[in-house]
Amino acid sequence: MISNVISLLIAIPLLGAVVSFFAGTKAKFVALIASLIPLALSLQMYMEFDKTSKLMQFVESYDWVPSLGVKYTVGVDGIGFPLVLLSTIVSVLVIIYSWGETKKPNQYFALLLLNEVGVLGVFTSLDFFLFYIFWEIVLIPMFFLIGSWGGPRKDYAAIKFFIYTHVASLVMLLAIFALYFTYQTPEGTRTFDMLTLLAATADKTIFPTGLLNIIFAGLLLGFLVKMPAFPFHTWLPDAHVEAPTAGSVVLAALLLKMGGYGLFRVIMPMLPSVDKAFVTIIAVIAVISIVYGAFMALAQKDIKKLVAYSSVSHMGFVTLGAVAFTWMSVTGAMFQQFSHGIITCVLFMSAGTIQHVVGTRVIADLGGLADRMPKFAVLMMAGFMASLGLPGMSGFVAEFMVLTGSYATLPSYTMFVVFLSVAITAAYHLWAMQKAMFGPILKKYMNVHEPHAYELFSMAMIIVLSLIFGIQPGLITDIMGTAATQVMEPVITLTQMGVI
Amino acid sequence: MYADYAYLIVALPVLAFLLCLFVGWHLPRGGGFLTVLATFAGLILSLGIFSEIYPNEIIHQSMPWFANFNVGILIDPLALVMLLMVTFVVTLIHTYANGYMNGDPGAARYFAEAALFTASMLGLIYADNLLQLFIFWELVGLCSYLLIGFWYRKPSAAAAAKKAFLTTRVGDVLFLAGIILLYNNLASLNLTLAPGEYLLQFPVIYAHVAQIPADQLTLIALGLLGGAVGKSGQFPLHVWLPDAMEGPTTVSAMIHAATMVTAGVYLVARMFPLFYAAPYGLTAVAAVGAFTALFAATMGLTAFDIKRVLAFSTVSQLGFMMAGLGVGAAVGTFAVGVSIFHLIGHSFFKALLFLGAGSVIHAVNTNDMREMGGVGKYMKWTMYTMLIGSLSLAGFPLFTGFFSKDEIIVIAYEYGVMINFLPYIMLVLAAVLTAIYTFRMWFSVFTGKERSDYGKHESPMIMIGPLVILAVFAFGFGFAAQEDFYSYLDSNFEHYDVDFAQLGIIGGHVLEGHAAPEGAALEEEQGAPEVAESGHGAAGEGEEGGEGEAGEPWYIQILPIIVAIGGILLAGLFYFDKIKKFDPSQVTGDKDPIRKLLLKGYYQHEILTGWFAETVVYGTALICNMIDIKLVDGWLNWLSAWVLGFAQHIRKVQTGVVQNYVTALVLGVVVLVVVITLAMEVGLV
Repeated sequence: MISNVISLLIAIPLLGAVVSFFAGTKAKFVALIASLIPLALSLQMYMEFDKTSKLMQFVESYDWVPSLGVKYTVGVDGIGFPLVLLSTIVSVLVIIYSWGETKKPNQYFALLLLNEVGVLGVFTSLDFFLFYIFWEIVLIPMFFLIGSWGGPRKDYAAIKFFIYTHVASLVMLLAIFALYFTYQTPEGTRTFDMLTLLAATADKTIFPTGLLNIIFAGLLLGFLVKMPAFPFHTWLPDAHVEAPTAGSVVLAALLLKMGGYGLFRVIMPMLPSVDKAFVTIIAVIAVISIVYGAFMALAQKDIKKLVAYSSVSHMGFVTLGAVAFTWMSVTGAMFQQFSHGIITCVLFMSAGTIQHVVGTRVIADLGGLADRMPKFAVLMMAGFMASLGLPGMSGFVAEFMVLTGSYATLPSYTMFVVFLSVAITAAYHLWAMQKAMFGPILKKYMNVHEPHAYELFSMAMIIVLSLIFGIQPGLITDIMGTAATQVMEPVITLTQMGVI
Repeated sequence: MYADYAYLIVALPVLAFLLCLFVGWHLPRGGGFLTVLATFAGLILSLGIFSEIYPNEIIHQSMPWFANFNVGILIDPLALVMLLMVTFVVTLIHTYANGYMNGDPGAARYFAEAALFTASMLGLIYADNLLQLFIFWELVGLCSYLLIGFWYRKPSAAAAAKKAFLTTRVGDVLFLAGIILLYNNLASLNLTLAPGEYLLQFPVIYAHVAQIPADQLTLIALGLLGGAVGKSGQFPLHVWLPDAMEGPTTVSAMIHAATMVTAGVYLVARMFPLFYAAPYGLTAVAAVGAFTALFAATMGLTAFDIKRVLAFSTVSQLGFMMAGLGVGAAVGTFAVGVSIFHLIGHSFFKALLFLGAGSVIHAVNTNDMREMGGVGKYMKWTMYTMLIGSLSLAGFPLFTGFFSKDEIIVIAYEYGVMINFLPYIMLVLAAVLTAIYTFRMWFSVFTGKERSDYGKHESPMIMIGPLVILAVFAFGFGFAAQEDFYSYLDSNFEHYDVDFAQLGIIGGHVLEGHAAPEGAALEEEQGAPEVAESGHGAAGEGEEGGEGEAGEPWYIQILPIIVAIGGILLAGLFYFDKIKKFDPSQVTGDKDPIRKLLLKGYYQHEILTGWFAETVVYGTALICNMIDIKLVDGWLNWLSAWVLGFAQHIRKVQTGVVQNYVTALVLGVVVLVVVITLAMEVGLV
């Protein structure tokens, strides 16, 4: 057992980012090593992780600004750990996929590593102050990735992304401050300790419902914008379309998951204490996101935009499962986070590869590419099948659990609408894939060839992962199941756990 | 001993799939022999299991999977006969494919996908729970998609594949909804399950069906039926099946005739207790089946593509099987045996017909029957084996199809006596048309003048061999196996804790005025259905096996024979040059509206693809897109442009944008609040 494993997990990519910034063309090697070590560490953590425990594990806590009650506290439980694993996996694969990057590679890889630092921090922080810092750190590398490596409208997209999500974060920060200033520890001090504050929200004498509703709404907005959920999703397609492929992959696979993580970590413990109307609101948002996202994807002409809207639709399942508040649906929602994180990588990689091999992403201009790039076609098809929920791959298990679990608590006609989207989801995936890949090869694409081996390798690894978790979901749903029981119960603070 | 290796029935084809996928390119014929061997091993294992457990035992193995679900193997009479049929027929088809696909550059891909299909189909059959069945159900759908689009460079093949996947997907969504509904209903019963028992396992479902509220049962049954309708090409989701003929003929024979399309029928049979208990459950099954049987047969009359004729015929025959299950409302579990018997018999003669058609196409290089004629002169083996298949399909006495199809018509008659004659009438009409279109095909392909200059040679022995074996079964299976088959299948549900008497009461299958309702239902449970006394004075006696026809009036028993022979003769008068009396083109001109309607397939393509998919669904998508651009996002960009234009003196662009996005965000919240308030006001949520 390695002590301070989470700190190491965060520090190594940070160090790697600094080194690769100065490593020039060697940056990719630095980045690969600096992302492989956290992957190894997180796998080690997986081995040691107690799947049956509802308590925080691998906790580290140090005073940081004692006068303000700010601490450096990190730790993982079943909510955070699967996402830590996801982050380390995706970071490695995205660095491999970007192996051929020639434009300022030192900065490029440094930013990817910095991104990993940010998301790992978010998924492990147990102190609101620290959490918020990591939350904001993530914006910076993504802003530069879009702004410097992006497409023609990159400035617009980068600024829109930054401002939209930043404003939402500020609202969230205000809510955090409201929590901070309302609650006093028995010793009469203030604290940013996440679990303590969340546990306190259940106490009506400290947080009257009116106040808590406002705080809750602020936090919820911050997370829903990040997910993103309808109607706060419009920053996402623009950011995706303009972002470089690696940026899109990280954005969809990891950054969106921060929103979902917030739902489980922060929103759900408060849900029993706030106005019941919030449940309705969140459920409506979730259902609209699922269905609307699917229809939007069907209407897109750009394959990357299609994939972007499919994210809106798929992340809607996370919201739905969370708010339906049954063990099955919450476990499914957590698994959907993980599963979507994996599968969306291969979708964005496909779009990116098509872009740089063929020169366009407009679906109507594509045709017959399978003829020239059969290996790529197989991988892309497998990815699309995974995304449309083919059994045997992880997406099906997640959506099945969410749907089954949600049925118990949500009105059946809302479920009918969601079922409709399952058919629409198949339609846009198949339509795009068929137009791009099948039919006779177009004359202008006769010279198209298979993409680089490293791109195929990254895609293939993702397919393998999706299959592994589709065939043996228990590998990770065992952890999530425990976490689901836990989020539906009152929060246990670190003090109660006896870890501090 | 064989039972311990039951998992290999699926595992071996999976292995063959992986081998063909990764190293098939380096093997002769794409590694086709691996796929054949894997399937053949499955046949041997199935036979071994049969010898072990026939007639009184079942095999049930199970292990936990994730959450509240398990994976398991359940081999009862129903599953076992399906396993035997699929491994047997598919082994022959794979063997044939080694000849048929020889030289195709994609042979390795073909055999990989074919092996994956085999694994999925067999997994579907012996799944011990509904979730696992659904998973394999979707996988066979995937394989069907891949194999229909096998020649993916052909736009029509790619389009047909997409159509097949999406159409069946609609059914699958309903199926999934049915499963979820069933799961939640069972979960709400708070059952105490023994270790190793899971909610979606069939034995658990059978045991607790009676506790689920009747209205919920109907919804569940309709959901499951939706899935079956999609997969088995029943109206109105049958449109994909004729188009599916774009794939290689072996695919049509294997997936779209003999095995996969029967999965829907198998599902209804598997869930028969639930359908039996659901009010309107079996009525819906009977209605869909009987209508499809007739409807598809009319389209089979006018098609010129030999494979399309057979495709419509498949749709029609699947309708017979569905109807056979549906009329179980009158005869109880006996219907399962009758329907599955037709399923098995059909898979023999339909695989034979498709492979025969493939043999013809292989030689003459066209699918169009107008360009064939007189082929029999050059392809004796193909002609005579196909004759046996055609006679069987038409229901000529003593052939397999005669025993199986006519038994469905007989129980439909009993259903008519008790409940409603409509299915019976439709099925009899469909049977007439079946004989006509089958022999229209056979006569115009094999007899008469050569209507074009086609290739003239018989197919290689690797293709003829399977034809001959299938012909033996297409002829003799019905005669040899009928009685044992019925009694074996009838025992299927005796292995479970299922109370058909009670289910019949829930489902309302006990007719008003019936003297001893519970007694009748009880007898149904024992597989000896008793038909209610009727105004005709002809009471169906309790039947045992296939010899119960004595209870029907003589004309009911003679009718199918007359129908078959009459239909064949009628087809001969039009299409057999030796006895030709009429010219089809003179009877109906090209302008004839009915003929046009049939040729156009009742304009279903126009309605479904043109109107529903392109207008309704895609239109909705475009509207959403407009809302997104103009409203959700658009006004925000518009506002920022307006503010910038209005306040040109603001030098820092970003500042203006920040404010706009803040406003946008706030407005988004406001809009949402308004929407939700309204929704709550009108009581939507």
